[in-house]
Amino acid sequence: MAGALTDPTLAPVAFGRRAVPQLFGDLLQPETRTRLRALGQALLASCLLPPLSQLLDDSSSSCRRSVHCVLSRLARLPAGAAALLSLVPKLMLKLREHEEHEEEHEEEHEEEVLLLSTISSCSRLDALPALASDGVSLLGRKLSHRSPYIRREAAGALMALSVCEDGRRQVCEEALLPVLVRLLQDEDMEVQANAAGVIMYTGIITAGKQRCLDLNVVPVLLDLVSREEQEEEERRRRKALVMYSLRALSSLAEAPAGRRLLLEQLPLLVRRSEAAEEDQDVRRAAQTAVRVITWTP
Amino acid sequence: MEQLCGTDMVPNIPNVLQRSLQSYSKQRCLSLLRRGQRDPNGNYIFSSRPRPVETRSKFREPPPEQYPAQPDPAEVQRQQENRRRAIARKRAREELRTRSAEALRGRRHIDVQTENYLEELGDLIVATDIECQTDAFLDRPASPLFIPAKSGKDVETQIEEGELFDFDREVQPVLEVLVGKTMEQSLLEVMEEEELACLRAQQRAFEELRNNELAEVLRLQEQERRHREEKERRIAQQKEVLKKEKEIAEKIAARAYTKQFFSDLLPNVFTSLRSHGYFYDPVEKDIETNFLPWLMVEVNNSLERRYTARNLLDNIIHDAVHKRLEMCRDTRSKSPDPGLNPRSSSLPGRTQPVRLSGLINDRHVAPV
Repeated sequence: MAGALTDPTLAPVAFGRRAVPQLFGDLLQPETRTRLRALGQALLASCLLPPLSQLLDDSSSSCRRSVHCVLSRLARLPAGAAALLSLVPKLMLKLREHEEHEEEHEEEHEEEVLLLSTISSCSRLDALPALASDGVSLLGRKLSHRSPYIRREAAGALMALSVCEDGRRQVCEEALLPVLVRLLQDEDMEVQANAAGVIMYTGIITAGKQRCLDLNVVPVLLDLVSREEQEEEERRRRKALVMYSLRALSSLAEAPAGRRLLLEQLPLLVRRSEAAEEDQDVRRAAQTAVRVITWTP
Repeated sequence: MEQLCGTDMVPNIPNVLQRSLQSYSKQRCLSLLRRGQRDPNGNYIFSSRPRPVETRSKFREPPPEQYPAQPDPAEVQRQQENRRRAIARKRAREELRTRSAEALRGRRHIDVQTENYLEELGDLIVATDIECQTDAFLDRPASPLFIPAKSGKDVETQIEEGELFDFDREVQPVLEVLVGKTMEQSLLEVMEEEELACLRAQQRAFEELRNNELAEVLRLQEQERRHREEKERRIAQQKEVLKKEKEIAEKIAARAYTKQFFSDLLPNVFTSLRSHGYFYDPVEKDIETNFLPWLMVEVNNSLERRYTARNLLDNIIHDAVHKRLEMCRDTRSKSPDPGLNPRSSSLPGRTQPVRLSGLINDRHVAPV
């Protein structure tokens, strides 16, 4: 086992072919999971994905959970995400099954969380398979789940999906924006960040702009932006949220109604952009927003 | 059947010998043959040295392996072979054996004993059944463990505490290695996890940045697209306007030209019509068409009449004058009297009638 970690490129190939399927046959123990993480490339190289995907249908939940864990970690590598793209339809099916079952157990949630993270990682590479399997509506339903992790992952997946033109359109059509606006005021910061991300992408198309402005989302975003945090740590974590909100505001400022609203709030944004202790990226985003707001033909 | 114990002496055993050839192994029969001899009387005696009974296993042979009913095909084949060979051998021997000649017709050969002592010959062999029952075969008991006899001297020794090695001291390197390896392993794992966490954090930061920039890029793209579409729309609109204007200008030009072209059309038309006589005064026309020709015709007629009358008159005059002339001539020729012609006016000769007719012949239509 030590060999697997110290020399991941050489040792696990022999290890993987023989022992991994055998390992997968029994109930996986947690420590095996961590070891299997290291197999990463070796797994991909040894074409174990088909049996892995078969194990997805296994009856024991801890086995499934481990498979999902492996898959989600694999999907973090770009090569892994590329390899798992073909599995995305099956994963979407699993997601739908979860929805139908509506389990109460925490393990199911964990499984779902991992599943969603896999899907979002793969969709970051290419959103088309997930979109084709009607991902937007499925994820939209997950947005109102109880567990914050699921909400976070669902919002993250939705953000990955809405990078694509189609996805944005579908988000508008499915009327997911009210839910997202509500999520902006969620307790969990990650959820807020992801929701802001989706709004940021959706606000790029004209229909999205209209909807967002109808839903009166500008004050909420401004509020998110303007909350100053003193702590470095806190600020670092809020960075994503602030950036996404700023970008969302920039895209909303292109619409005349939004522009009017934001012109009043211009000083706040200017202040944000000038602030010296701000992060470079945040400052840049604020400057862009200011530029967009004060643009004249 | 006789036992091969070696002490029996059966005098006449050719049949027996034959049978034993069949039923016993060749080896045994051969041994039998060796033992059989003829005594001085010519009787057959058999004697052999006493020998111990062959050692046979007391126990049952281990059960043969459970083959199917049909033994090994090789075995079967071998047995068949043996059988066939035996039969062949027997047949060969039968053929070789000299027989007496066949009986002549009406005779019959029979076997006859010619010994001193007659014996009843019968196919039935006097046989007595003797039974001897061995005990049932026992399974071979397990061979007892071979415990070799003790040889050598017994020696013993006792290690006291602390005499051989000091555990605590000796275990130290081993422990060090073990602990060290475990620590190393765990350190590696922890480092690995940290690395992974670090990677993941980096990835997340990258993702955020990427999302950010992507949003910006998309927004700009969208903006660009909108602008472009707007531009295109405006250009199209402009083109439409231009096209319409051009059309209108053309229309106006055409209209002006046509107007100018046809401006003196009407006067021309009327003039030409008038000049062609399409506008006429009906009375005038009527007068022209009907009255005047008639008038002319009448005038012509009357003038013709007048002319004709004149002509007639002329002719009359001419004729009269001519006659006169003739008469004159006649008279002249008859009488050369110059003053006889009262009627002829003082005409100066022939020229006067010519002149008169000339005057009459003039067709002057003097206005009447």
